[in-house]
Amino acid sequence: MLGIERLCGLILQIKSKFTLATDCEITVEVNPGTVDFYDLKRLKEAGVNRLSVGIQAANDGVLRAIGRIHSFEQAKNCILDARKAGFDNLSGDIIFALPNQSLEEFCRGVNDIIATGLDHISAYSLQIEEGTAIYKRQNELQLPDEDGEEAQYTALCGILAENGYEHYEISNFARRGKNSRHNGNYWDCGEYFGFGAAAHSYYNGKRFSGVCNVKEFIERSFVSALAPTDYDNAEYISAEEVEEERIMLGLRTSKGARIPESKHSVARRIADLGYGCFNDGVLTLNSKGFRVSNEIIGEILV
Amino acid sequence: MTEMDKIRNFSIIAHIDHGKSTLADRLLEYTGAVAKRDLDEQMLDSMELERERGITIKARAVRFDYKADDGNVYALNLIDTPGHVDFGYEVSRSLAACEGAVLIVDSTQGIQAQTLANAYLAVDHDLEILPVINKIDLPSADPERVKHEIEDIIGIPADEAPCISAKMGIGIKDVLEQIVKNVPAPKGDREKPLQALIFDSYYDSYKGVVVYIRVLNGRMAVGDRVKMMHTGAEFEIVELGTLSTFNLEKKDYLEAGEVGYFTASIKNIADTDVGDTVTLCDNPCDKPLPGFKKAQPMVYAGIYPADGSKYGDLKDALDKLRLNDSSFTYELETSVALGFGFRCGFLGLLHMEIIEERLEREFMLDLITTAPSVIYEIHKTNGEVVYIDNPTNYPDPATIETACEPFVKASIITPTEYVGTIMQLCTDRRGEYVDMKYIDTTRAELHYLLPLNEIVYDFFDSLKSRSKGYASLDYEFKDYRPSKLSKLDILLNGDIVDALSFIVHSDRAYPRARRICEKLKDNIPRQLFEIPVQAAIGGKVIARETVKAMRKDVLAKCYGGDITRKKKLLEKQKEGKKRMRTLGTVEVPQEAFMAVLKYDDE
Repeated sequence: MLGIERLCGLILQIKSKFTLATDCEITVEVNPGTVDFYDLKRLKEAGVNRLSVGIQAANDGVLRAIGRIHSFEQAKNCILDARKAGFDNLSGDIIFALPNQSLEEFCRGVNDIIATGLDHISAYSLQIEEGTAIYKRQNELQLPDEDGEEAQYTALCGILAENGYEHYEISNFARRGKNSRHNGNYWDCGEYFGFGAAAHSYYNGKRFSGVCNVKEFIERSFVSALAPTDYDNAEYISAEEVEEERIMLGLRTSKGARIPESKHSVARRIADLGYGCFNDGVLTLNSKGFRVSNEIIGEILV
Repeated sequence: MTEMDKIRNFSIIAHIDHGKSTLADRLLEYTGAVAKRDLDEQMLDSMELERERGITIKARAVRFDYKADDGNVYALNLIDTPGHVDFGYEVSRSLAACEGAVLIVDSTQGIQAQTLANAYLAVDHDLEILPVINKIDLPSADPERVKHEIEDIIGIPADEAPCISAKMGIGIKDVLEQIVKNVPAPKGDREKPLQALIFDSYYDSYKGVVVYIRVLNGRMAVGDRVKMMHTGAEFEIVELGTLSTFNLEKKDYLEAGEVGYFTASIKNIADTDVGDTVTLCDNPCDKPLPGFKKAQPMVYAGIYPADGSKYGDLKDALDKLRLNDSSFTYELETSVALGFGFRCGFLGLLHMEIIEERLEREFMLDLITTAPSVIYEIHKTNGEVVYIDNPTNYPDPATIETACEPFVKASIITPTEYVGTIMQLCTDRRGEYVDMKYIDTTRAELHYLLPLNEIVYDFFDSLKSRSKGYASLDYEFKDYRPSKLSKLDILLNGDIVDALSFIVHSDRAYPRARRICEKLKDNIPRQLFEIPVQAAIGGKVIARETVKAMRKDVLAKCYGGDITRKKKLLEKQKEGKKRMRTLGTVEVPQEAFMAVLKYDDE
């Protein structure tokens, strides 16, 4: 892993080689308990202006159940340290549908997390992937059923809305002006370069990625004359696909997407079913709509 | 020309899997009509599907020479018969072209339902029956017991019956000698006006329809103008001859006693109905041969392309199949739910399955088939009588005086231990007990009158599963009987889906309705809204289930590299949606239609 030292060095290098916009967003993800006040201060001084803190839950028992090594106390301290270090744009993540948690406990936890004063929250439901430690133990855990998960999601959206967070993308909530600009670029179909193994780039109608294997990526970077890009996986995005992506990604955000005339009746029906608004040819999904967005996007694009 | 006393015309009849096709192969092989290496297992079943299912669907015939122990060379015409209950009429016409029948009985199983049905048919046609005991190589073979069965039940002597193993090639010569000795030579007058029986036909894209015939009286030659006495169609014979193993063997003429083929640039197979009589236009015989029947479909179903845009392809495929099979019918049908398709008539369920499978296999079509229906006879209050083969056209109950449904006479042969459960099954299916006979101490023959409607669902499957595969079934149409019938409609999201409507006996409407609603619920994927699934009779809902609204279908993370993943997901979703039919606003997968066609006993 890249330590603080080298990370700061990298940022400084980039700054010296490229001219960055004055309001350029530089985000670093940190896990509570792995950084202290001084680390954060150094990041801030190097130019990092946004932190994303892996909080996940406000209940230590739950954190342990999913194999996290930090406590909520450590997460809160991390946020305090970040503020002291001068960060005014902090994001945190919340995981719902976690094991061993009642709806009341979950809501209390969300309020506790908000109380730390985050500017931005990403929320995901727990995904139990095959092959992970938790996958093997899932029978021992009390996981919420479909109704329970739905209730947590609805409560989460409600609490965040009451506290001034806008549900601006399927999994993201922000206070005014604190939307993630980096991610916003993906959702606006903007161009981007990604550096590192498996990092994706989209430039000039082409989407491509670095080779996935880290070792191979490094070897290619230094030893081989080949650029560490996996050109076999490059995709050329046709005009038709650009249009499809625009709708697909737009519907994932609160900006919505302009719907082609032929699909207006579908869009109207979706709005009438309570999944969003359809005004002036633009369909915007609400929190309920986001939950079934695959189906909605499918209906619009088929 | 072959003298009549050197001709033997015979069929082989048997219950399914008793070894009919294998024996046919051995006879051809023994007489040198085919070399062993050429023998693609079971020569006579030439369609791939038939070979796979081990059943013969269409009759075929072959002529071969045999030098008998008496020193004479005989011309043997083997006329194969379709081995399934759906094709009873075709079997009867093939038998009418013969003087004898080789009745094969499996020495491990003994007499089965179709053994009896076929034996009785042969008796009805005054055929000399030669019993043959097959599969004597198997350890469980009991030839003596089977011989007694044949004598006791069919009432023909079986003392001399050859005990053979067609598979191992044991006893084949005995069979041939018996055919020569015991099957009567054809009788007939070669001086009389032409009288020939059509027992099969198929379409050849170069020659037109190739008609298989047995000449009973007179002679026919190339260039003769002939007339089909029932259809009235007239043709000039272009080619005729006998049927050798691999091809048609051209001759100048055919005479009484002979079996052969002719072609006459016939475009439409419906002009050459099986059972029709061929005679000469300028010297006709005075009356047609008896026994002609127009093949009547017994079971109807709607066949639709799964992808509505493939309607044209389906039509072409049906046109092509019909060229070779005049017993199935089809006409354009439009369904509100499924769009354009065809209402097809079949001789029975197997016939239906065969056609469906050929459409899917040979023509690569994806189909949606509606529940099979029988033909109902409706007497209306205004005195009109209508025949309904499509539930959609079922008249308003208020206008119905009496509704009648077809009943069949079913014969079931089963080991005695399953008699109880099979009687229960027949009672459950509204069967009316006629009688029961013990064939021997281990087997019984049950007779029931059953509504055909009950048989077209999954009667046969239930019968097999209840008897561990041992019971056998044969049935024939009996008559129409008044019945309490209701049309059951299925509603999705409040709208009737016409393709799912069916006619059911009123007493069975509730359980059927509940079962179908459950099945639909299980087979319709969740959608953006809650979908009520209802079953109703005349507007009154009698069963209801709900497909709950979709709760969650979301890709939570969609950053840089996830976009490609999301797009792949979308492509899969599009493929899935293409396989669905949109009924109103509800998307229904093909499987949902399939699921309601079969109802299990539970």
